[in-house]
Amino acid sequence: MIDKVNLLKEMLACSLQGIYSLDVHVNDQGVHSIWCKLEDACDIQATASTVKKLGGRLSTITAYQLKSPQPSVNHEIAYHFDIYGATLTATVQLIGDDNKIMSLTPIFRNADWNEREFMELYDIKVVGHPNPRRLFIDESIDSAVLQRYIPYSAMVNAASTKTLWENIMRNRGED
Amino acid sequence: MTSFKVPVGPLHVALEEPMYFKVEVEGETITGLEITAGHVHRGLEYLAMKRNFFQNITLTERLCSLCSNSHPTTYCMALEEIAGIKVPERGQYLRVIADEVKRVASNLFNVGIMAHIIGFDSLFMHVLETREIIQDVKETVYGNRMDLGANCIGGVKYNLDAAKVKYLLAQIARIKTPIEEIKSIYNTDKFIGMRTKGVGVISKTSALDFGLVGPVARASGIVNDVRKDAPYAVYDKLDFEIQSRQGGDVWSRAMVRLDEVLVALSLIEQCLHALPEGQVCMTSLPIIPAGQAIAKTEAPRGELLYYLKTDGSDKPERLKWRVPSYPNWDALHIMMQGGKISDVPLIVNSIDPCISCTER
Repeated sequence: MIDKVNLLKEMLACSLQGIYSLDVHVNDQGVHSIWCKLEDACDIQATASTVKKLGGRLSTITAYQLKSPQPSVNHEIAYHFDIYGATLTATVQLIGDDNKIMSLTPIFRNADWNEREFMELYDIKVVGHPNPRRLFIDESIDSAVLQRYIPYSAMVNAASTKTLWENIMRNRGED
Repeated sequence: MTSFKVPVGPLHVALEEPMYFKVEVEGETITGLEITAGHVHRGLEYLAMKRNFFQNITLTERLCSLCSNSHPTTYCMALEEIAGIKVPERGQYLRVIADEVKRVASNLFNVGIMAHIIGFDSLFMHVLETREIIQDVKETVYGNRMDLGANCIGGVKYNLDAAKVKYLLAQIARIKTPIEEIKSIYNTDKFIGMRTKGVGVISKTSALDFGLVGPVARASGIVNDVRKDAPYAVYDKLDFEIQSRQGGDVWSRAMVRLDEVLVALSLIEQCLHALPEGQVCMTSLPIIPAGQAIAKTEAPRGELLYYLKTDGSDKPERLKWRVPSYPNWDALHIMMQGGKISDVPLIVNSIDPCISCTER
């Protein structure tokens, strides 16, 4: 595995245009976790192409809001790739109005669902997606649902109807 | 030839969970497919970010029934990675036992349902009756038939005394013969072969392209398994081979699952024989610092990946999980193309789909 990780380092050094940092962790069982921060979001395609050339695959994509100190309109997207058991997580940041990212579907077919999912959860646009329709959330529901404030009580449906309280009051003889 | 669009689902005979397919056909031949998901989307990732690390163990146990042990195991592994927690060796063995017990039950459920779909209901009953042995094991050892409630941060919250070890070994010995019989039936029965061989085929190249995982990928000749490729717990100390087939069809996927049932039984036996003495979990309360981690396990349906980002508080800043069914759904476009409309339930079942896992 160490050969593949070194090859990945060399290939990224040749293919990435912007500044990036690379951090490699190896656990007690020899499993590699590679963390890569890309300053230029456009470099994600070159990173994906490098993984593909190495015989790796896209595992999944995680988008989230950056906290500074509260959740902001700034986003980070973590792309998780599998390279023969090692996981490369490459992150890019989308700051302010720059909420566009190129689709990885031309490189990895399975980017399709992942990109559709984070498009409906956050205010992020994917450029070049072949089928950018909603994945799980119905069109009738507002966009960017995960970056809107939803009270916890409403989320867990504890904001119940008044029937519950009417029953409690009745049981107490206070109706 | 007349073209139709046939709606299948969202409530469907093959599945207890909802997924809506719009199947385009010419005559009886499938020419196109549109999948509409989201019927059981519950916003669990949002919920996970509002609950503390302990509450999320309870939440992840309830994501799904059949892989209800893989989720908390993987989630705890991510926390342990960030906090630098070492799980005691006995706890690691017990985690493997719990995961493999669940694999046996999950895989048997899927191949049993396959027999039901093709109308071989006596076999369906036989498989499910055999599966009851492992369901009884779960109830006896863990107190529950589905959610084992086995995991905690830093280990497990169950233990096996000598009587339980003896009981488990006896039950494994008891289930092996009927499993071999069932495998032989799936391997040789003419009607099973006619309905499942050459049906729902996906090539190795397409399987790689779609990023497939688990028995679905392995049935198309892709030899990957997290337990070997990125070993965790004590899998690197156990003797087993990755099970794979070349056919890429419904039958191959069922056979891989049956092969993996036998491997799982062997792994449980190995763990019971090698079970070391000692603690089953860490003895102090964990402190979870700011950080991020990836944890991966081989769930019954394939690679389960958790990404956890923490900020030093008692809640996840972000918790994302990618279940094995997630990439496998999209591959139905390839598996169904050119197939017969009557085979749709069979092909859908062959990816062993978990919708509550996929949609979260």
